[in-house]
Amino acid sequence: MNFALNDEHILLRDTAQAFLRKEVELQPLLVPGATVRDAGYDRLWPKLVELGWPALVVPEEYGGLGMSMVDLALIMKECGRFLAASPLFGTLAGSWALMAAGSEAQKQTWLPVIAEGGATFALAVANRDGSYEAPARAMSATARADGAVVLDGTSGFVVDAPVANRFVVAAKHERRDRFFLVDRQAAGVTIEPLAWRDPTRHVAHLHLQAVPGEALEVGVEESWPWIRDRLSLVLAAESAGGLQAVLDDTVEYAKERVAFGRPIGTYQSIKHALADMLAQSECAGTAMLYAAWALSDSPTEASVAAAMAQSYASDAYREATHRSIQIFGAIGFTWEMQNHLYYKRARCNAELLGSPAAHRERMLCLLEEREAEKAATLAALRQRCAP
Amino acid sequence: MDFSLPAEDDPRRLEIREWLASHPERSYRDLYERGYTVPHWPRPWGLDADPEQQIIVDDELARAGVRAPHHRNPVPINNCGQSLLRFGTPAQQQRFLPPALACEEIWCMLFSEPSAGSDVGALRTTAIRQGEHYVVRGQKMWTSLADKADIGVLVARTDPNVPKHAGLSQFLVDMKSPGITIRPIIDMTGEESEYNEVFFDDVIVPADRLLGQEGDGWKICMQQLQTERVALSRPGVIWGSGPSARELLDGLIVSGRLADPALRDEAARLYIEGEILRLLAFRSLSDRMNARTAGPEGAVRKMVAAPHGQRVLDLAKRSQGVAGMVKDRNVLPISKAERGPYSNWDHAYWWSPAVTLGVGTQEILKNVVAERILGLPRDKDPTRHTPWSQLSSGVSGSPNEVGERT
Repeated sequence: MNFALNDEHILLRDTAQAFLRKEVELQPLLVPGATVRDAGYDRLWPKLVELGWPALVVPEEYGGLGMSMVDLALIMKECGRFLAASPLFGTLAGSWALMAAGSEAQKQTWLPVIAEGGATFALAVANRDGSYEAPARAMSATARADGAVVLDGTSGFVVDAPVANRFVVAAKHERRDRFFLVDRQAAGVTIEPLAWRDPTRHVAHLHLQAVPGEALEVGVEESWPWIRDRLSLVLAAESAGGLQAVLDDTVEYAKERVAFGRPIGTYQSIKHALADMLAQSECAGTAMLYAAWALSDSPTEASVAAAMAQSYASDAYREATHRSIQIFGAIGFTWEMQNHLYYKRARCNAELLGSPAAHRERMLCLLEEREAEKAATLAALRQRCAP
Repeated sequence: MDFSLPAEDDPRRLEIREWLASHPERSYRDLYERGYTVPHWPRPWGLDADPEQQIIVDDELARAGVRAPHHRNPVPINNCGQSLLRFGTPAQQQRFLPPALACEEIWCMLFSEPSAGSDVGALRTTAIRQGEHYVVRGQKMWTSLADKADIGVLVARTDPNVPKHAGLSQFLVDMKSPGITIRPIIDMTGEESEYNEVFFDDVIVPADRLLGQEGDGWKICMQQLQTERVALSRPGVIWGSGPSARELLDGLIVSGRLADPALRDEAARLYIEGEILRLLAFRSLSDRMNARTAGPEGAVRKMVAAPHGQRVLDLAKRSQGVAGMVKDRNVLPISKAERGPYSNWDHAYWWSPAVTLGVGTQEILKNVVAERILGLPRDKDPTRHTPWSQLSSGVSGSPNEVGERT
């Protein structure tokens, strides 16, 4: 038991922070008319590869760094703080899909490539209506006469699809849904970029028409929860970092901006709002680190912890970004200020893997199951020990 | 970083369990002499325990159904006792700490006054030095345990000719002294009264009861209140005592009420907040154990915990509908675990308006957090730098019209 970061964690965090502070530039996005093409995906990614970030979660036996989820969370928090734009989210998603569902040969083939930065991935698992439920899945895989499997249909809201060179796609297949590896260059692949409101993230629908796919070994139903919990942590960490940035920025502004002869931070209405924001920032950071720890070290707690972190952090981030614009006043509502970038990231992060309420509902179901198991165990015990 | 808690069969647990089992007749003095009362304090008072050991001791005492020493005698154990380690003379430590930690002398805190609540620095009770003793005159309010206490930690004004915070001093007063009158304050729950008014009519306090130097009073108070904030931020919804959000959820599941969609998401949010508070409490426990001086971070936790507790109790009550409006000790199922006062939902609910008032109102806490942690500009207290005797409210005894916080 030790609730503090150790020296290595602190070094890792500070190094990531110093790097991103130097490398990430939001200025091009603050020009009216700017889009995700101005976010710097292409510029940042080779540098992240140099730092070895694509290798962070890849196990050592596949040429990766095999770092803990706490290490990853600290780095993702810094990415969130600076709104770093890169295909890291999609590539992490692809790595985890391969780790959870790939055969040994598939892992041997792809994970070392990912680790050395030789491939960027995107995970297509959501439906076009934004849901993750299998019945609404509009992507299906069928075997052709020659035995090859081809995919047809649409996946929705695929993060990093426009910049990925490989996809992992969930599709209906015979009796159970499976993940399939798909090459970006294959004929029949159409990417429909979305006017996604967060200009620091590429998001697209993916349309496939008779595109060959290589099935991963484990079914979607068995592997998706494990992947989803990890992606929830990534979003929660980004949100916790973004929230911290918004807090710092707004506090600085409240100290400098003068109204009625005093800095506005002197007024209690402003002070109290910022005190609340600080408290939520502490809570979000703590929930997120706990989830990171649980994902590495306490599998029975992992799903509950990840759902708690994602729902809390994204709600807190949404609230803080709203409050921040209010405290800045009308200037905070303009395109040239960075407030809206965080405001948009907060809202988009909150919806990407299902709403905060949906995460809470999943958490409750897990807790109810646990309670029912306890009750059942108790009943069984009573029966066995009855005179 | 490691969030796992000590295992059920941890040898340190077994040792305590064994001792408790072989001493069924143990007294609070036995617990103290064994080091279980303040395990995190330095020896000889405690065990120099790390956070893990502290949690183990707390857990095992609770498991054995022992009412925690910090519930029985909270003032010296949670707040004021450690001030004696820093400011007390060896003679004061020897005289006061052993009976306090053995729960043989109960303490109370004599801070708030009728016109000095949030602005404690504006208190008016005076302690005037006369030869080998001080003469105390004034009125204290909102004093928990005053009626049961042997020792009162008193803050009084010893020098009216300096600004308000500079003229305060702290004393350890015999509560049975002639001239002390105690009256209960009946609070809105109408149940057994928690708070008292305490009147001092020329009470003689020997000079060797002064803690630290004259004028140290404010500094010592601030440390004690911050320590209290840490101590009060355990996940029980009434200042760390009482039922928790986990018990709310368990109760709603067992009673079948969680199926109500109107309650469901709210219950989930409260559960999450409760879990986060539990993690934050462990973090602050680490700080406290690592012998760091309590900082304002404690205020952040209390700031979240107090309204959280009110919302937990509110949902517990609303889950009952109209039936919850009857005085009833069993609104939701609750385990029999020892959790100090307010251990039934109904009493805790009607008590809950107090949790954003006691130990600094929610508004003051937010000011403290904004100013001391975020570094926002301090709001001016026009009375802060003026000698106390030159403030009209200070000398006249009329209600303090300034009403500014410190």
